[in-house]
Amino acid sequence: MTGETVHEVGEFYQLLTTQLESAFGRRHPHWVRGEIAKVYEKSHMYVDLVDAGTTSSDTKRPVLNAHCWATQWAPLKRKLASEGVTLTPGVIVNFYGYVDVYAPQGKIGFTITQIDVQGLLGDVARRRQELIARLVSEGLMDANKRVSLTPVPLRVGLVASPGTEGYSDFTGQLTHSGYGFVIVLVKTAVQGEAAPPQIVSAIEALDAHGVDIICLVRGGGSKGDLAAFDDERVARSIAACATPVFTGIGHTGDESVADLVAHTRAITPTKLGEEIAALVDGWHRRHVRIPAQKVLDAANELLDEATEYVAERRRTMIFAVRDRLRSEQRHLGATRSQLLVHSRHLLSTTGQTLASTRQLLGAYNPSKRLAQGWSIVTKSDGAIVRSLNDVALGESVHVLVSDGSFDSTVSEKNGASS
Amino acid sequence: MSDIGNWNEAAGELDAIVASFDEGEVSVDELFVKLERATQIIETLESRLDATKARVDELAPRLAKLTEAE
Repeated sequence: MTGETVHEVGEFYQLLTTQLESAFGRRHPHWVRGEIAKVYEKSHMYVDLVDAGTTSSDTKRPVLNAHCWATQWAPLKRKLASEGVTLTPGVIVNFYGYVDVYAPQGKIGFTITQIDVQGLLGDVARRRQELIARLVSEGLMDANKRVSLTPVPLRVGLVASPGTEGYSDFTGQLTHSGYGFVIVLVKTAVQGEAAPPQIVSAIEALDAHGVDIICLVRGGGSKGDLAAFDDERVARSIAACATPVFTGIGHTGDESVADLVAHTRAITPTKLGEEIAALVDGWHRRHVRIPAQKVLDAANELLDEATEYVAERRRTMIFAVRDRLRSEQRHLGATRSQLLVHSRHLLSTTGQTLASTRQLLGAYNPSKRLAQGWSIVTKSDGAIVRSLNDVALGESVHVLVSDGSFDSTVSEKNGASS
Repeated sequence: MSDIGNWNEAAGELDAIVASFDEGEVSVDELFVKLERATQIIETLESRLDATKARVDELAPRLAKLTEAE
């Protein structure tokens, strides 16, 4: 020690600072790349940066204690959030800043003035693609899609943050649908570092509870706001879920890993509510409204047909009986006419016959014969003398002539000359 | 009218009576008997139809309500 300068601690740090500034230049900036090992934020942001790929078990790995003061961190944080980037352990990042020495804690540190956001975005995108590739290779991308969906999902498990616009939009659709949805809500944060583990717990709880579907709902926001739905833990819990998981996250154009893994994905919470209501309404239409309408139509048609049938039969009977009676009347009338004609003809014919007969008989009238000179000879007993043998000689006979009669005695009998 | 069977049986009997008229098989002696029977059947069918319509009219609004969207 003899002759050597002995420094006080503060003086030593002053010397160190001078040497460092001499080597690096005062607040001369450098880019430093590393993997975030720890991150802590309390208005200022503190981060431990290590070489990528090293592990905490390596006790000799270099660690850079970096920090970003609040005045610079606030705008940087907003920019990162708007791009959906969160500084979390494992993220590889390029920090721009300068070396400083903080004597009160005996630390040589790094003051961050800029962050390579584009590099971070590339890293986020790469990590997202790697996650998707892992899920695909493990067969998890379609795992939840293979879970069968009940036709009428009325018991809805909801993972959301009440009071948010997304929550109101979604539940409003179900409430106003007119169907009796039962919503089982598990409240969670839907953004920030606390969100992924809460969402995982909520999914597991609802899966065990026994609901028809589980809905992850979150309204629109920046990519950072929606980052929880790109989280690997959330994706794996969806894939492992035995209940169909539906998502309605963000707005049109957003597509999270949770959306990709989910059973069914809607572009917004409102759309998700509409689609679930439409599922129930479709079932109701197919199994209630259409059958009811068909029954109603068939009943009316059957009644109309039956009414028409009975009316037609009534008309037919009336006409048939009327026709039958008219036919009989016509037949009787015709018969009557025929009888009259026949009777007249018969009478006429009979009259003619009688006249002929009368005429014929007239020819045989005895008075006409008597007038012609014929006479009728009868015996005393009135018997007509037809032969010589009917009388005897001396017998008295009665002779009838045209204008009278006289008596005579048979005096002689002469046979007719041949 | 209790001897009148169910709708199909009654309609079958009525059809047969009408067919016998169409085919001219009905004598005047049978005419009244058949007409009386047909009238009985028609009145029975109409009575059943009215009763069914009344019951359908009761149920129709309930069915119609089911056909409306929620």
